[in-house]
Amino acid sequence: MTTTTTAPTSVVAVLRGDLTDRPERNTWSGPTARLDLEATLRSVEHLALPVTVRTSEITHGGPLEGAGSASQLRGLLLNAALRLLVNGVALDDFFYDPLRAARSTSDAYVSELISHLNADQMARLEADVRSHVSTLRHRLGRVPSAWLPRTSLRSSVALGGGSVLLRDDVDLVLGHTGAADSHVGLLDITTAPLGAWSERLLSYHALVYAMRTHVVPLRVGLLSTATGELVTRDGTPELIATGAQNVISYIQGLAVQP
Amino acid sequence: MMLYQRHCSERDINDLIATAPESDALLLDQVVRFSTRVKSIASPSARFIDAWAVEQAGKPSTPFVWRATTARRLIATNALKRVRQGAPILDAVRAEIDEHLALGVRGETRGGSLGQWLSSLPQADLGIVCAEAVNWTTALIETQHMLGDAATPADADAYFNVSGAKTTLRARRDFTIGEGADRVIVRVRSGVPGKTAGTGLRTDLFIHALAHNEFAVPRRFIGLWPDAGIALAVDGTLDNLRAGARDIVRVCETNRRHQLQEVA
Repeated sequence: MTTTTTAPTSVVAVLRGDLTDRPERNTWSGPTARLDLEATLRSVEHLALPVTVRTSEITHGGPLEGAGSASQLRGLLLNAALRLLVNGVALDDFFYDPLRAARSTSDAYVSELISHLNADQMARLEADVRSHVSTLRHRLGRVPSAWLPRTSLRSSVALGGGSVLLRDDVDLVLGHTGAADSHVGLLDITTAPLGAWSERLLSYHALVYAMRTHVVPLRVGLLSTATGELVTRDGTPELIATGAQNVISYIQGLAVQP
Repeated sequence: MMLYQRHCSERDINDLIATAPESDALLLDQVVRFSTRVKSIASPSARFIDAWAVEQAGKPSTPFVWRATTARRLIATNALKRVRQGAPILDAVRAEIDEHLALGVRGETRGGSLGQWLSSLPQADLGIVCAEAVNWTTALIETQHMLGDAATPADADAYFNVSGAKTTLRARRDFTIGEGADRVIVRVRSGVPGKTAGTGLRTDLFIHALAHNEFAVPRRFIGLWPDAGIALAVDGTLDNLRAGARDIVRVCETNRRHQLQEVA
């Protein structure tokens, strides 16, 4: 089921859903998708290996063109703000606190991006980030510690003996894979408005998580801090199959005709 | 030499533990011969060798600096103990950070310690340290769920000092199942296993055998890479122990060569 909402419900509450109405943990869709992908890889001819698949390839067919320093910085700072908010750090300043936090993890990269901006662009970025962080804080809601929130989780799933690598970054993961019922929620945050690509992104996140842990997430969500919109998808076998099909289509598109 | 590769799933990991064969014995004579060999490769300064150094083939590494990612394991390992006593994960991590901070602020830590570094950080940076430590603690909790109650979280890593060789060997561990020559050791790692991951596991296996008071060899050493969904394992066989010992000696030789080049 796909749900899109701008209602003032906490994003975290939507992701976790009704505690009394949880499906059983699905541990078979991930391995099945892996088998399908491995079989496809064996059948695709003239594929230039190795191949690394990232979210941008699945959502936009390749690396995002024109993603300037300002938009990269905006994403970095928003991610840093999320990490601080989830871990209970009160943000005194919606721009400088995330900037300080982002610098603490990747100082050289942040400085490099900032060096490309003039004073006007920097001022616009500051206003922009304040607005996005404000929306994020308003929509996110309180994240209970018992839900084991993890931020900025990177995954890397190898296929075909390592010749194809599926990489993924998820901004927030809730719950753990050890429970008997479906328990895990994934959330991605974007500074762009939602679009047709959102569905592909959600199924890719669910696919990579299910292949990596063998457990299908309960729900996957994408929050746009530009509009406050939240789109969520339930972690169904169909969602995993769709994710696998999107990856297969992308890889088949890479095959070079002789 | 066999290197097992499995998925990082509950079933596969427990299968790796259940099917671990009996380990070979490491004799005192073999330990003495190894120590003598290491001693013969002179070093003007103290040497510190672990699986990472072996995986990097002894290449000189950049000096250690505290970062959120280098601090997370130390904080998370202790936070896990608090979580097992019923503390919420965020409280457990914060309590650990606070303890280090208090030591740092009171000046009860040595220069370059975690406490001293933490006490120099602004609030936002501490938030990122907390976030990384929460991530790592959760990885440990998920591993504990997979391994079950039989797995004991490790109190400390294993160390072996090669006497008279200015050499300390260190092997990391996160969980132990069983005891003595019956134990299986599990280590959680970040990222993706590289081509030399098996070499690193054999080094860990060998150092764990050396560090045991009776040189008891673990039945199996398992490395988990949750970010990649991969588990790799090596058995406690004499072949694997020999390979582990050989790689440590190679690192000593490489270190020596680099030291001589620096002097020249």
